[in-house]
Amino acid sequence: MDASAARQQKAAGPPPAIRITGLVKDYGRVRALAGIDLEVRRGEVFGFLGPNGAGKTTTIRCLLDLLRPTAGTVEVLGLDPRRDGMALRARLAYLPGELRLPERGTVRQLVASIGRVRGSLDPRRRDELAVRLDLDLGRRMRDLSSGNRRKVGLLLAFLADAELLVLDEPTNGLDPLMQHEFLALVREARDAGTTVFLSSHVLSEVRRAADRVAVLRAGTIIAVGTVDELRGRARQRVEAWFAGDPPVGELDRLPGLEARAIDGRRFSAVLDGPIQPLLDVLVRHPVESLVVEDPDLEEAFLDLYAGTPR
Amino acid sequence: MSGRRRQLVAGPFGAAWRAGLGWSVVFVLMIVGTVAFWPAFRDSTELGDMLSDLPPGLLEAFGMEDLLSPAGYLRGGLYDVVVPLMFAAAGVMFANSASAGEEDAGRLELWLAQPVTRQAVFAGRVVAVLGWLALLALVVLASQLVSDAAFGLEIADARVVDTVALCALLGALYAGLAFAVAGIAGRPGPVLALGLGLALVGYLVAALFPLSDVLEGWAWLSPWDWALGTDPLVSPAEPVRFVALATGTAALLAVGGIAFARRDVRSA
Repeated sequence: MDASAARQQKAAGPPPAIRITGLVKDYGRVRALAGIDLEVRRGEVFGFLGPNGAGKTTTIRCLLDLLRPTAGTVEVLGLDPRRDGMALRARLAYLPGELRLPERGTVRQLVASIGRVRGSLDPRRRDELAVRLDLDLGRRMRDLSSGNRRKVGLLLAFLADAELLVLDEPTNGLDPLMQHEFLALVREARDAGTTVFLSSHVLSEVRRAADRVAVLRAGTIIAVGTVDELRGRARQRVEAWFAGDPPVGELDRLPGLEARAIDGRRFSAVLDGPIQPLLDVLVRHPVESLVVEDPDLEEAFLDLYAGTPR
Repeated sequence: MSGRRRQLVAGPFGAAWRAGLGWSVVFVLMIVGTVAFWPAFRDSTELGDMLSDLPPGLLEAFGMEDLLSPAGYLRGGLYDVVVPLMFAAAGVMFANSASAGEEDAGRLELWLAQPVTRQAVFAGRVVAVLGWLALLALVVLASQLVSDAAFGLEIADARVVDTVALCALLGALYAGLAFAVAGIAGRPGPVLALGLGLALVGYLVAALFPLSDVLEGWAWLSPWDWALGTDPLVSPAEPVRFVALATGTAALLAVGGIAFARRDVRSA
């Protein structure tokens, strides 16, 4: 980077935590990522949603330089993962989706080994995390259940004191109590200024943790926004009880109303679009009650994944 | 060595301790068991008569031309096939476990996600494997020297040192081959198939080519010929033999390291 570029960057503030442009990844003839553009801001918790096989892990492994992109660019904390991989990985911590740990030794020994490779280890923080995650540091690695192995991965990630946490399906195999503790750790990390990139197919987890989300389908990002924005893109269920007969003609002419049903004085439909035209009709007629069901993120997600992005 | 580098060596070295112990026990049993029969073999006239009836080509192929001398007995019983083949197999298996095996199991990812280069992780595993081969060489050397003294097999220590070192270097060469294949492919199947397969092919080339007038001049193609082509149990090995094996190993390791740094890392 030359001096003028450095000055411009300083004036514009730090680069985003993650900036992905036109990322393509092919495995032989199979295209896993078909041109992803994504930007994750510093200090936010970013949910990366998608069903299995959508390309979440492939994207994450490109961030870590475990995979080499077929095309496109990846920038993490302002660094190129391939050229500056070592410096970059000193500033981030990663929890793989398929976490495979050594079989030898105890949890404490593994944590110490990783500490030696990272160049630092805070024993007080280690012990605190072990207590919070209900993890026995003296247990032998080969005796750990899959849930406890996940806890080891979480402990290593949150122990790293990193600027960026990249967590791939972090709560796989954790019981609800530990999932709650995990969300608390994520919130604490965000409050401390850490950026969290959280890949998951568990919607409730993302809904509770993430500031913004991206939805990935078949290697393409089909929606990016806040949880509320994403929810707003989903279809709403509408039910109105009229004092008299429903104004069928006017309702039929309204755009975006699907699955219309009239049962006596009750009208119900699924609204796909803005609600204002419907409200304009309703205010001209005596309505006894009106129910508009706010879609949850799951509905939004399923709509998007079904191929009807809005 | 920094704590980081030490850890990158100590981890894979420690992970192989069971295999290292197993190979050590087998080597010791093989050597002690073979040398223990030397006094009976030396004093048996029937065996001498039987060997003299076998075709010279067969005796040469299996290193049994001079089976009643100490050097001939050791060569025929241990150092013509068994010990170098065991070193080659150990080298391939140690290298496979430390590289392609770990990658295939998804366990490399944990280390590659840390602030280290891929080359450093690869190099740490290479040093660990070479360390085990060196340790095995010491075990073989010690058990050979002790057994020789115990059972009255008279052979110069320097000849034994040369021979064991050449066998260990042959093992290192095949470990280098395994690391090269692992660096390129990252899968245990090709590593084991090519590593062990080429070790056997190398032995057959070195053993059988000299029996053919046409192929005799090509025996040098085999690393086995580089290591044991002139009998190091009888006469001092030329330095070029050590250099050739070490250079070949270094070249293969370089290929593996470069290939590993340039490709995708496989996940579990």
